[in-house]
Amino acid sequence: MVLRKDQIEASLQEEKKLIEDGKLKEDNPLDVSETFFRLCEACRCGDLKTCQETITEGVNINARDRFDYTPLILASLCGHFEVVQLLLESGALCERDTFQGERCLYNALNDRIRNLLLSYDYSKSTDPLQPLASHITSLLTREHPQTSDILVAAAEESFRLHKFILSARSPYFAKKLSVAPDTASWKLPSAIPPQAFGIAIKYIYLGEISNDVGGGPGTGFSEDEVLEGIDKISRQLEIISLWDGILESGDRRLARQRRTDEVDKGRNQLEAWFSNNVLKHKIILDTARADNVKWDCNNGVFADVLLRADESDDAFEIESPLEEDSLQRKPETKNGIPIGPLRQASRSPSRDGKPRKSILFPVHRAMLLRSEYFLTMFSSAFREAQATEYLHIISMDCSPEVLEVVLQFLYTEKTDFPLEIAIDVLFAADHLLIEKLKMKAAVVISTLGNGSMSQIPTRLDAAETSSPAPEELDIYDVVRAGWLTRVPRLEEFGARYLAYRLESYIDEEDFADLVRESANRIKGRQETDTIELLDDIRYYLSERFRLRFEDSGLEDMMEEEPTIATEAETDIDGKLPEDEGVDMGSLPNGDAARGDVNSSSGIMMKDGSSTIRTLDGEMVGDELEGDAINYQILLGKIEGLLTRLKLDA
Amino acid sequence: MIAGRGRRIRPPRRGLGTSDAVDFDSMWDVLASSLREIHTKNASKLSFEELYRNAYKLVLKKRGETLYIRVKEFEAEWLAKEVQPRIIEELSQTLLLATSGTQMIATANEKRVAGEKLLRALKQAWEDHNLCMNMTTDVLMYMDRVYCKDFRKPSIFSASMGQFRDHVLRTPLSDNPDDQISIAHILNAVMLDQVQMDREGDIVDKSLLKSCAYMLEGLYETEDEDESTKLYLTSFEPEFLRASEEFYRLEGAKLLLEADAGTFCKDARKRVNEEEDRCRSTLSPLTLTKVKSVVETELIKKNLPEVIALEASGVKYMLDNERLLELELIYELSARVDPKKEELRKAVQARILEMGNDVNKATVAATHTLPKPSDQDGDKAEGEEKASEKPVSQQTTAAIKWVDDVLQLKERYDNVLTEAFKSDQGLQTAFSRSFTDFINAFERSSEYLSLFFDENMKKGIKGKTENEVDLLLDKGITLLRYIQDKDMFERYYKKHLSRRLLMKRSISMDAERQMISKMKMEVGNTFTQRIEAMFKDMAVSADLTSNYKRHVAELGDPDPKRAEIEVNVLTSTMWPLEAMAPSYNDGEDRPRCIFPPQIERIKQGFEKFYLDKHSGRQLTWQANMGTADLRAYFPEMKGAKKTREINVSTYAMVILLLFNDQPPGGFMTTEEIQARTNIPLNELTRNLQSLGVAQKTRVLRKEPMSKDVKIDDKFYFNETFYSQFQKFKIGVVTSGNKVEDSQERSETEKKNNDTRGGVIEAAIVRIMKQRKELSHQKLIAEVIQQLTARFMPDVNMVKKRVESLIEREYLERIEDREPAAYRYLA
Repeated sequence: MVLRKDQIEASLQEEKKLIEDGKLKEDNPLDVSETFFRLCEACRCGDLKTCQETITEGVNINARDRFDYTPLILASLCGHFEVVQLLLESGALCERDTFQGERCLYNALNDRIRNLLLSYDYSKSTDPLQPLASHITSLLTREHPQTSDILVAAAEESFRLHKFILSARSPYFAKKLSVAPDTASWKLPSAIPPQAFGIAIKYIYLGEISNDVGGGPGTGFSEDEVLEGIDKISRQLEIISLWDGILESGDRRLARQRRTDEVDKGRNQLEAWFSNNVLKHKIILDTARADNVKWDCNNGVFADVLLRADESDDAFEIESPLEEDSLQRKPETKNGIPIGPLRQASRSPSRDGKPRKSILFPVHRAMLLRSEYFLTMFSSAFREAQATEYLHIISMDCSPEVLEVVLQFLYTEKTDFPLEIAIDVLFAADHLLIEKLKMKAAVVISTLGNGSMSQIPTRLDAAETSSPAPEELDIYDVVRAGWLTRVPRLEEFGARYLAYRLESYIDEEDFADLVRESANRIKGRQETDTIELLDDIRYYLSERFRLRFEDSGLEDMMEEEPTIATEAETDIDGKLPEDEGVDMGSLPNGDAARGDVNSSSGIMMKDGSSTIRTLDGEMVGDELEGDAINYQILLGKIEGLLTRLKLDA
Repeated sequence: MIAGRGRRIRPPRRGLGTSDAVDFDSMWDVLASSLREIHTKNASKLSFEELYRNAYKLVLKKRGETLYIRVKEFEAEWLAKEVQPRIIEELSQTLLLATSGTQMIATANEKRVAGEKLLRALKQAWEDHNLCMNMTTDVLMYMDRVYCKDFRKPSIFSASMGQFRDHVLRTPLSDNPDDQISIAHILNAVMLDQVQMDREGDIVDKSLLKSCAYMLEGLYETEDEDESTKLYLTSFEPEFLRASEEFYRLEGAKLLLEADAGTFCKDARKRVNEEEDRCRSTLSPLTLTKVKSVVETELIKKNLPEVIALEASGVKYMLDNERLLELELIYELSARVDPKKEELRKAVQARILEMGNDVNKATVAATHTLPKPSDQDGDKAEGEEKASEKPVSQQTTAAIKWVDDVLQLKERYDNVLTEAFKSDQGLQTAFSRSFTDFINAFERSSEYLSLFFDENMKKGIKGKTENEVDLLLDKGITLLRYIQDKDMFERYYKKHLSRRLLMKRSISMDAERQMISKMKMEVGNTFTQRIEAMFKDMAVSADLTSNYKRHVAELGDPDPKRAEIEVNVLTSTMWPLEAMAPSYNDGEDRPRCIFPPQIERIKQGFEKFYLDKHSGRQLTWQANMGTADLRAYFPEMKGAKKTREINVSTYAMVILLLFNDQPPGGFMTTEEIQARTNIPLNELTRNLQSLGVAQKTRVLRKEPMSKDVKIDDKFYFNETFYSQFQKFKIGVVTSGNKVEDSQERSETEKKNNDTRGGVIEAAIVRIMKQRKELSHQKLIAEVIQQLTARFMPDVNMVKKRVESLIEREYLERIEDREPAAYRYLA
């Protein structure tokens, strides 16, 4: 439904008034902070890495700058597809039928971006915490596997609940349960209607509270009694905002905002609880003795399973003494949790003098269930699902840091981790079947080398002279990880990365290996089949150079003196139109590129040092033509590589 | 993990690296032994984490395919070597023989025991297999997700289900290539056998059957697991349906031979319910609709017409004997196979028509067995008069009986409709049509119905509560609904009503008004307009009379002997005057009655009063319709009090007043009376009859004493008259509402046809004015459509009216138009 202009103005006015009254939080508040400015700048020029960094710093990506632009509008206006994607994935709003949303859609540079904006509808982008909240709510009704550890009995009903959630969300329970952690049941005061308690529980479990509180005929309690009960229980459990939430009502946006705040608060409580309990109580000990740890089922952090991660192999411990120190400094016990009978005796050094360490995290199945891996594990009939006297120790196939990231994600939906361990996180997420974390890891990885392809140094010679800055990750690993974990985004990213720095990689043996691997990925490969990786690289290579031709706005020049690229293509195919160079989307197909080997190999001989010359050997002072030649040289090198690998006979 | 320095240094990562040197065999050994543990139900010691990790690594290292194949092989081997032999063990020889069809030696009990043994073994094997495969799937989850998806392989679960199908169910039992009997065949046969036993009333283990059906449902022809290729659907169901078809064909034939319609219906319904239950509890819900349709076709549809037509127990029998339950069954079965319930409808309609015609015939017979009612007009002998009066009232009774009978019939079938046929819409309209048919086939229906109302208004509703009256009227109204010639009814009703009103014979005016409003709802406004006008006239007249009385009082007329007057002023167009005095033709002026002077004076006084108020109106006095109260003095009467109050018709009053001027013992002849009063002869005769002939009200003495009144008969004032009542009424002969005789009816019909002609013409003109041009066919259709609410126009009459309109240049024929068409001339 489209509103008439006066209706829109009226509703905008109303909104403004609500905001001025402080009732409604502004969706796009003015932000003049330095960080936000940097984000805006990065969005203008497509600097993916800075974007990622500023977002991680916690800038409000839905704010607006002093020209009334939001980062999303800037990025889509300037046509940076990847940045738009990143912003949307990080929760930037583009809601139809809102002022800013329509502005954003209207301003999008091209249809690709516009469609992307449209595909992220409100429900997906609005609340990144929704999956977490709905998982916790679902714990209330989940029958299998059984994860509750406390039974609250009301008149006829009984609630199967989780101590850790109760104590994270309600100060009252936190106090109660810290005194008596092995409480297995709790009786509701009979004065309080079970419906009221049900609502309180729903609130604690981050469920949506409806205005209809129930009660009335047939339930044994009138609506007023239920309301009174809610009032009482919310005071007793010290969750006052529940009462406030019940009282408030009305406006859709206000309700949504309150809900968002509530979930956010809940997440923060869980996070605090997570770091105060789970992380604080992790146990560090020698790997050899890790299996002997015995934790009682009733413990202060209400954990019902231990996850174990081993430090990496001895060879690498040398490189990370610092980290190990820091780990060992962590407090080891609290609340008198027995760490294990062998703890005291474990101080004897192993034969290396530096025994391999393992870390055990006391965690809760209820939260682990968010991963399908654990869901299956705890639902199955295998050992992990059997009830035993002591907690199961499940060893995880990753490093403690990675495990911590994974746990952090499962408990709090938070995903900040450094680039260095991104690939490990990616694999762990793949292993544990946590699709969302995988995506997050991929996003982090794509910021490698400032991910922004269009922003790298323009002059090839310049790039060659300055030695490449050390990178945190090996690009070959990234590509391989992309293949193994089936993240197309990483494959693309790798190809783009390589294409933009091809001159420094093309001659490496590792690159040849990678090409060979890519070729082998296609089973039953035919001679005419192309190599995916090289195709991608060729595509991004053309993008890298073409973009620059086009940017200069000198298409006429390209027509007058056709670049070698177009010439080569037309030579071979004969049917490609002259202005092919303008067409950004067209992939220089393999045949064309391969075909020009003969002609360009000559150039390689002559112009090995990248002097700026044309095909006839004439010197040209124009930088653009130099680029054209460089493009040819790189394509030629690829051909050379293929010949060497005998992949393209 | 720590950042390397520079891009050459790369920390090795688990799961990464180019070397595929995983030790497949050792990992597979671990997995294989675990799988074996799972199959031997020892899984609780196994670590999910470890198994998953192994499988995960293998897949990550591109060994997914090998793993997949190995697992499949493992399953195949396990099923073939461990599971199938165990089932074959349970397979008894009897079953084998029974299936191969060589002999049928086994007794039912043996067969059942043997069958159940096999089913139990299969069920056990299937459940175990499912359990194991669920666990295996859990462990190999990553392989399913990654390898199977990428290479478009069916998931390991589906694959292993396929293995179960191939290696357990479908492996031929013997190596002989000609003998392809497999467990699947035997299973089918056993299951069908068990179902057959169940149908025959033996007790079988339903849950066992159900689990086997469930197993077949869980298996598919191919690994794509297309819903339509479930083994249940491809192998079991067709055979099951075939067997059911056979069974029910036989069952249907048997039932028709042996049982009556009621039993058949009960049995058929029981069978349908049984099959539904069976599908739900024993087989699969998927078959529900299919097997239902088999039962419906084989058992019900093919036999139902015969069942309905069964002479001794069919629908006719049920209707006549009010077998509502059986009718309900029949209805249910019909509804199952035919949404229109054609057969049932025809049967019931035929029965209604038959019974309706019986009622009609009975009525006609009742009127004809009695002597033909004689003509009441003219001067007939007194004796004859008496004799003819009886059949007339009998005929009235016959009319009312007819209505009662029809109503009874209607009530009965309404009852059938609601109780047995669930108020089915289609059947209801069919019923109505049948009623319409036979009611309209009876030509006196309109008159009889009106008589029925008349009778009830006059006597029938006496002492009844409002609700009862309401009910009664409603019944009558339903019949009215069926009558097509509503204008005829209107005519009769008006006639009867006018008598009721003027003679004050109506018991309750409320009931009358209620009736009007009911008719209004049923037939429409135009229908009741005139009738309402009659009521209005009555009300106005009452006002008028009281006004006049006041007027007279104001004048202060001193004459104490002055007679009082009560006037009903009737609008001549609204009242069926001619119907009340049938002997006068239209246009012929009615001879004015000469009133005695004292009456004449009052009459003139009123006329003056009335015309002062409403100028330009003409008052015509209808002396034939009024009544008068007289106080008479009989000098020779026995007893002390010699005066009596007599209520007589106006004419009688005029006649009696004449004798005031006669000396005692004086007489007048009929002729003289006629000359002095100018009362039409027939009316005069009738009044004289009631005054001078009727035994109890013989105020006049007639000479000679005979029943007939002759023109030269002499009348004396009967001074010796005696009545035990102080007040009495001298009715005029044939003043009540009676059935018309044939002459009267033909007259009524003629008049009615004249009115219809006008109505039709009006309709034609209305239509043509709107359409300007219209083809003949369409015009006729529209006229009929417009008028059906009032009566069924006769096409010939419509044609005649069109002709006449053309003659009068309202319409013209459009020339050269085929088919014929007309144009409206403005």
